[in-house]
Amino acid sequence: MPAKSDLTDEKASSAFTLSVYDAPTHAYDEALDETRLPRHPWQFLLQQLQTLGDVGVQDCKRQAQRILREDGAVYDLSHEVKTSRVWALDIVPNIIAASEWQQIEQGLQQRARLLDGILQDIYGEQNLIKQGLIPADILFTNPAFLRQCHNMPIVGQHALLLHAVDMVRDVSGQYHIIADRTQIPSGSGYALENRTVMSRVMPETYQQSQVRRLAPFFQTLKQTLAALTLPWTNTPRIVILSPGVFNSNYFEQTYLTNYLGFPLVQGGDLTVRNGKVWMKSLNGLVRVDVIIRHIDDVYCDQAELRPDSMLGVAGLLEAARAGNVVLANPLGCGILEAPALLKYLPRVSEFLLDEPLLLPSVPTWWCGEPDDLAYVIANIEKLIIKPTSRQQGPSIYGHTLTDAGKADAIEMLQAQPHLYVAQSYIPGSVIPVWHSDGLQAKPSLLRTFSAATLNGYQVLPGGLSRVGAATEEMIVSNLSKSNSKDTWVLAEKPESPITLLSEGKNLPLPVQENVPSRVVENLFWLGRYAERIEMNARFLRTLLKKLYDIDPLSNTSCTLLLDVIARQTTGQNPFNDQLQQSTYLCKQALINLIATDQQGSIKADLQAILGCSEQAKETLSSDTRIIINGLRDQLHQLDQFQADNQVFSPEEVLDNLVTSLLALSGLYHESMLRGLDWTFQELGRRTERALKTAALIQLAFTRVLAEENAQQQVLESVLLSAEALISFRRRYRNHSQIDYGLDLLMMDAINPRSLFYQLRQIQQCLLELPRSHASPESELITQCLALLEGVNLIELVAVETTSQQREKLNLLLTQLMDWLGQFTKLINDKYFDHTSAPHPLSQSNYTTN
Amino acid sequence: MKFQVRHITEYQYSAPVSLCYNLAHLLPRNTSQQNCQLQKLAITPTPSYQQIRSDYFGNQTLYFSIEELHNSLTIDVISDVEVTPLFLDQSLDSSITCGQLRQQLQQTTLPEQRLVKEYLFDSPHIQCSEQLSAYTDDCFIDQQPLLAAVQDFTAKIFHEFTFDPNTTDVATPLEQVLHQRSGVCQDFAHLAIACLRSVGLPARYMSGYLETLPPPGEEKLVGADASHAWFAVYMGEKLGWVEFDPTNNVMPCEQHIVTAWGRDYADVAPLQGLIFDGGDEQHLRVSVDVKRLS
Repeated sequence: MPAKSDLTDEKASSAFTLSVYDAPTHAYDEALDETRLPRHPWQFLLQQLQTLGDVGVQDCKRQAQRILREDGAVYDLSHEVKTSRVWALDIVPNIIAASEWQQIEQGLQQRARLLDGILQDIYGEQNLIKQGLIPADILFTNPAFLRQCHNMPIVGQHALLLHAVDMVRDVSGQYHIIADRTQIPSGSGYALENRTVMSRVMPETYQQSQVRRLAPFFQTLKQTLAALTLPWTNTPRIVILSPGVFNSNYFEQTYLTNYLGFPLVQGGDLTVRNGKVWMKSLNGLVRVDVIIRHIDDVYCDQAELRPDSMLGVAGLLEAARAGNVVLANPLGCGILEAPALLKYLPRVSEFLLDEPLLLPSVPTWWCGEPDDLAYVIANIEKLIIKPTSRQQGPSIYGHTLTDAGKADAIEMLQAQPHLYVAQSYIPGSVIPVWHSDGLQAKPSLLRTFSAATLNGYQVLPGGLSRVGAATEEMIVSNLSKSNSKDTWVLAEKPESPITLLSEGKNLPLPVQENVPSRVVENLFWLGRYAERIEMNARFLRTLLKKLYDIDPLSNTSCTLLLDVIARQTTGQNPFNDQLQQSTYLCKQALINLIATDQQGSIKADLQAILGCSEQAKETLSSDTRIIINGLRDQLHQLDQFQADNQVFSPEEVLDNLVTSLLALSGLYHESMLRGLDWTFQELGRRTERALKTAALIQLAFTRVLAEENAQQQVLESVLLSAEALISFRRRYRNHSQIDYGLDLLMMDAINPRSLFYQLRQIQQCLLELPRSHASPESELITQCLALLEGVNLIELVAVETTSQQREKLNLLLTQLMDWLGQFTKLINDKYFDHTSAPHPLSQSNYTTN
Repeated sequence: MKFQVRHITEYQYSAPVSLCYNLAHLLPRNTSQQNCQLQKLAITPTPSYQQIRSDYFGNQTLYFSIEELHNSLTIDVISDVEVTPLFLDQSLDSSITCGQLRQQLQQTTLPEQRLVKEYLFDSPHIQCSEQLSAYTDDCFIDQQPLLAAVQDFTAKIFHEFTFDPNTTDVATPLEQVLHQRSGVCQDFAHLAIACLRSVGLPARYMSGYLETLPPPGEEKLVGADASHAWFAVYMGEKLGWVEFDPTNNVMPCEQHIVTAWGRDYADVAPLQGLIFDGGDEQHLRVSVDVKRLS
């Protein structure tokens, strides 16, 4: 028996001793009734919170933050990979009783049907305009009405497949819809993540509360999309189209991708050929049948909509028009977000559905109607003035206006009344949030989600509740700028748990067909940067150690080694003679190679690896994300050190880095399926290690150092940084000639850091790649191996008397690096996509009279 | 009257184009006055995808994409068009007044008239302004008969503006056209439409061709014609849409061939396209011939 049912109201109230906020004056209180006691559905939760106490709740909060961070639940990457912020989740869920939800659900289902009808009418017969149900002005002056989308075909019952609304409750407890979201009905992914977190941090409370599950909604959504009747396929390929990593809701897109099992693509990953949409995958183009888009209408197609869009897929509109692809939601549906429509929905509902509108919208006046304009002018301080289309400017809150501001606003309305609407200001019900040892009231807003089914619409039993920061006002519409809450819709009877993970009906597609080549390219580079940073960090660490060694470096070896590291990182050598006189200054210069913004520094490479991981975010396991988060922290710390001009221990920074990167490579060796995504990451790592090892040997050993001691120091430093010094000493005991060192670093077939070993691994990887048999790139690797196998070490290290250099070694390594360079270029051209941005044709002018 | 119209559009690129998507309004539409027959449509290189459709305004659109590398693109369209002369009831006194039309549109319950309102509002190339409404002087005051008023206004533009292809391009704002008092047919059509909308009268943009005649005694030059643009005004249920050509100060009768209409140029551009690659330079050559068949 759930604990909840044991509690009678009486017991609950007598036990309730939590300190609570004062009764709100102009708002409905979600949790407490007029007597300041919990409403029935809230009793159990509030009691649980009371039992937990402040310590317990704080602990839950911390735990929640940790999970969110590990899941990568961030928003607002805003062009700086490292400054993303963790999604804010309040620990007290919003609770909605079963009976209340039933009414909301019916209202939302009806509203989705209604908007679907409006959409089909506006882009079809336009009876709503012809019959005068919606004033012509509202449609024809709105830039969201896209005439290009006229008469689009509809697959299945509905044009509108997804629908979200923002709702608030007025002081009487009545819900009002304040906005519809149709172009990008975002937020369901955050709702899902909130639920995942809450069920983990408060497992008992959650389980005993009989909360309705979210998974069936997504399962039905999947089934509905998969069941769309497309003449050419029975198993439609569905993708999620994202604007990219800098979109503030990128996390949600990656989250839904993994939850629903659809590939995440960006505009450039898709191409329209033959009027059909294709994804650029490693196997070439694969057909895409359904697109869940997270891009606004006008940015979706450069050919017919905004030609300057960086996000779209050129030709997409025509592909949809030809019925060759289904978009969720269809292009042009942005018109449904027009606030002026709200006023007319009751009569449109009667007209289209023959039903009264169940869920009211916020009272709305359209200033194009003279009576409305008069009302708005007379009551301006009680209203919010909005342009009729979202593109036309910000909202004006009447109660914030000065007298002069009011006069200006009225003048603006009178000049072009048909371009403005006004809405009542409903502050929203208050919901408690936890605040050290008590509850505080915050105004709230609820976003709900509906999706088409085969014969109607289903509503997600839950949603995204958001609370304002201030106690008084609720001016929140942007997802990212507020604190969110899980929303618990209570069930009348317990539901059996299901998740999408247990569903085994559709076999997953092989990776090469299911991942855009952009993702694979980023995994390739993820591998390369990981290796690059690790090798540089190791070498820097070795040098820092040697600088303060009991057996200090000789001048010549020091000069040489500093030159090597400078070339391996930023390419610019700061170590002049003067600098080398001072160990302290040398150390500072080495620190600079870690923390400078210059290309090639450890910091710059860290930024690059974070960028790659964002692009491939949906393919990374949760453990990998933890490590990536760690790298982000380390980068952040470096910035902090620099900003504060702090002295920091570079050894510690490098140790942490090397440890993180080892963990990363361990994970990917032990936990990643050997698919093509693994192969490309491996290929990236091996190629980078081969290139960097070759460069290191060339830089360190081409020049002959006269003093034997110095030569020895260089050899030992290189071996130390390659983790080979101990093996070297064990294997060769007293011998310490260069040729033995090179044997270990270049030829050794069992040293996982030798050149030969890398080339062998590359060869293995190539066997896995499509279209690589007897290809020029595999030819190049065969040549490299042959070159190494033909080497005579004694000859190789021979010194040319005129130049005093090991010319043969130098030549061999130059050749190897050249071939490896060609190799990466071939891989790049063959498997990755390099389409440049499109541009419009110039237009002719008329010259007739 | 029967015409044959040949419209050749040719683009040369400084580097190969790998992929292009195009939407053309190059196929004349059927109207109550004209009947069209497409004789030839040749696109080089051959498109991998091609569709002819009717758009929101009922115009014929040609959509095509080319997926092979190409250095040039040629679209060659030949259409036969039979034009029936328009006999407009010239008893101007019987026409509706400006005031009546404005009132009618405000209070209308006629489904089609509600849709006409679309042509009262701003569109991509046309923004109403006080400056534009001031330019109409008192042409369109309430008691003026509408037909005569628009004729006068057409004549006003014709007399006060100079035709000069070197002073404007597709992006020149109307305020500048008004200020410099020169431009081409497209500017004059846009200007007239903007002025009419600024005083609350619905007007639309007409795109097409005009038969030109060589100076007396001379041969007509091949390719010397060009696309043309004019406008139409809605004059109530009885007259419907009536066309005016401010560039030539005439009411189109049987020498104007309509390709497409819309709110302004943006709705009916002869060719809009998007290319991938193609280098920095594009050279466009257009040649139009309007030949009288009978």
